[in-house]
Amino acid sequence: MQVLMAAFLVCTLLSPQGRGGEAWPTHTACRDESLQVLYQSCDALQDFGLSVDQCLKQVKPNINIRFGIILREDIKELFLDIALFSKGLSILNFSYPICEVDQPKFSFCGRRKGEQISYAGPVYNSGFEIPEGEYQVLLQLYTQDRSTVACANATILCS
Amino acid sequence: MAPRVGCFLLAVLISASCKVATSSDPMCTEKEANKTYNCENLGLREIPDTLPNTTEFLEFGFNFLPAIQNITFSRLINLIFLDLTRCQINWVHEDTFQNHHQLNTIVLTGNPLIFMAETSLTGPKSLKHLFLTQTGISSLEFIPVHNLENLESLHLGSNCISSINLPENFPTQNLKVLDFQNNAIHYISSKDINALEQATNLSLNFNGNDIKGIEPGAFNSKIFQSLKFGGSLNLSVILKGLQNSTIQSLWLGTFEDTDDQDLTSATFEGLCDMAVESINLQKHHFGGFSPSTFRCFTRLQELDLTATHLTGLPSGIEGMNSLKKLVLNANSFDQLCQINAASFPSLTDLSVKGNRKKLDLGVRCLEKLENLQKLDLSHSDIEASDCCNLQLKNLPHLQYLNLSYNEPLGLEDQAFKECPWLELLDLAFTHLHVKPSQSPFQNLHLLRVLNLSHCLLDTSNRHLLEGLLDLRHLNVQGNHFQDGSLSKTNLLQTVSSLEILILSSCELLSIDQQAFHGLGKMSHLDLSHNSLTGDSMDALSPLKGIYLNLAANNIRIIPSHLLPTLSQQSTINLSHNPLDCTCSNIHFITWYKENLHKLEGSEETVCANPPPLRGVKLSDVKLSCGMTGMGIFFLVVFVFLLIVLLIFSVKFLLRWKYQHI
Repeated sequence: MQVLMAAFLVCTLLSPQGRGGEAWPTHTACRDESLQVLYQSCDALQDFGLSVDQCLKQVKPNINIRFGIILREDIKELFLDIALFSKGLSILNFSYPICEVDQPKFSFCGRRKGEQISYAGPVYNSGFEIPEGEYQVLLQLYTQDRSTVACANATILCS
Repeated sequence: MAPRVGCFLLAVLISASCKVATSSDPMCTEKEANKTYNCENLGLREIPDTLPNTTEFLEFGFNFLPAIQNITFSRLINLIFLDLTRCQINWVHEDTFQNHHQLNTIVLTGNPLIFMAETSLTGPKSLKHLFLTQTGISSLEFIPVHNLENLESLHLGSNCISSINLPENFPTQNLKVLDFQNNAIHYISSKDINALEQATNLSLNFNGNDIKGIEPGAFNSKIFQSLKFGGSLNLSVILKGLQNSTIQSLWLGTFEDTDDQDLTSATFEGLCDMAVESINLQKHHFGGFSPSTFRCFTRLQELDLTATHLTGLPSGIEGMNSLKKLVLNANSFDQLCQINAASFPSLTDLSVKGNRKKLDLGVRCLEKLENLQKLDLSHSDIEASDCCNLQLKNLPHLQYLNLSYNEPLGLEDQAFKECPWLELLDLAFTHLHVKPSQSPFQNLHLLRVLNLSHCLLDTSNRHLLEGLLDLRHLNVQGNHFQDGSLSKTNLLQTVSSLEILILSSCELLSIDQQAFHGLGKMSHLDLSHNSLTGDSMDALSPLKGIYLNLAANNIRIIPSHLLPTLSQQSTINLSHNPLDCTCSNIHFITWYKENLHKLEGSEETVCANPPPLRGVKLSDVKLSCGMTGMGIFFLVVFVFLLIVLLIFSVKFLLRWKYQHI
């Protein structure tokens, strides 16, 4: 029976890892009494780290975030797509350039595939208040040839 | 004993099935047969046996190779490009690339290198590009100098380097790019720069290093292609340090996430003592302008002030006579006249793209720019009811004009009379109001490229494109035609020199048979993303040898009389159509298989009908129409049975007859 056990162990160890099959864990970007932001990486290849400094219903302008990821692509050009849903209905879609050849907005623009980057700083948002409810947000960071740099399914719970 | 044997057998069986599972691992993808392969993210521990010996370009990033040595790549001796990004390489042992004579690029980005042997990079006859980005290097002595004589670019970003002092025997004669981004370099000494003496036309990148000091005279009489000091806090230290140097392009911009000091006239004093052709100051703040702010900019040819929080440029800037290119993107002007263009009489290239406020073009704001050739005013919320003769007054040499992504523009008759030399006009995504039967582009005899995509054109105006005698490239994507039909008389008939025509996403249902008559020079026609059917292809019969894109239409059946029309084109894309794969389309399917070399997007050219064949690639469909083998078999059996029956009944009849004689 031991042999069988050993064989089983070897087998599980050798068999390819369940990439794609298993989803990345859901992380908490921030949590407070009335607001909670959860996210999950939707890039099959890797997870990433994100935290938001202040978790307030009344979002202040220029909130600080911390973000850490391994780049799978050069980010000479980098774009962000945000899609916001509530109760399954699309509320807002927009696209925003973060790095462009003629305007690299952030100091990490131009870093290369394989580099690990961690950003701690403001995101230059305007202030707004989040109405009560549950929201789904799809965030995608991609390069000029539409290769994914990061992808996140986020849930905002506001009570 | 017996249960043990059974157990063992079971174990062998399981591990055998295990083998099968591992061999079905994802494989490298072939990008170009026998030459280019991508094996990224496969968790490989060695070069797979499936890669041919002829491989030249290999992307092998995100695998697991703790040590690379002589035998690691020994089979792939034809390698030219090798990407080993983030393979957890600790050791690069001696003679790793000994037999790779053609190797030209090695990428080692993101590997935690502990040691590279003295001969670890020897072998390649002409190693040109070496990427050692984020490999934990703290001293340049780490890099083995043997066989770097041909090196053209060396990438050392995101390490812990604090001094750029190259080892004495480091060969620099062919070096063109030296990248030190995001290191810890705070001081540049004369000795550091002298070590680069042999390099000519060098580009040095110090972005993300906070340079606090440069030894006076360090750059004395040195020549550089480009120098980047992005995100540096103290520009005046840098400009003083660059005294007496000659620099083609100097990048001194900052970033959203970097603190910066206000720029004053004192900041730029050092600029008087150096020769710079082009300077970039993006995202800085100017602490007010004085008459002397631009005192040292007199020899500049290009100035980039992207997102520098400007609401205007001061009038009466003197001495900027030689400026050829000015970039004022992403600022906050209310009116174009606030840039005081008269200060830059030699300007050939002006860009005011992405203005943060609604930009009023004003009247005659650019009239002093007689030499202007290129003008970009896109994404600036420009709105004008009578465009553009007063707004673009006196721009006789303008060749390129970009007004795309703006608010609605009302174009008058002969709207661009002031710029008769225009060669390219981009109005994409700007709604255009043109009065019925007027011709806004009337006098643009030299215009070659016109982008009118998503302009909400009145396509029933047959005079819209009149006067465009030399138009080669026309994009009318996303505009709509009356009744979804391109009729016999349409706006294209006045542009007979057309070579490239984009009519995609125009909600077209049909095209008249005569619609493209007179467009004999056409070489590229894009009709994708419409609702055309096979019947519209009659209109294509006058066209020969063109690239034809019919993707994402409503084509089900292509009648056999239209196949010669398709045959006479050079490339055809029929992907994403609801193609019929029944016998009623057999002629087309046969033609398709015979002409596969002409077809683009054949992976996405699939059947929609009949249901069992839905999603099957057209090239894989096997149809036999007419009598099938099975049918013939049954017919033969039936006839045979009939004959047998006949013989028996004749026999029976005769016997019955004889019996009753």
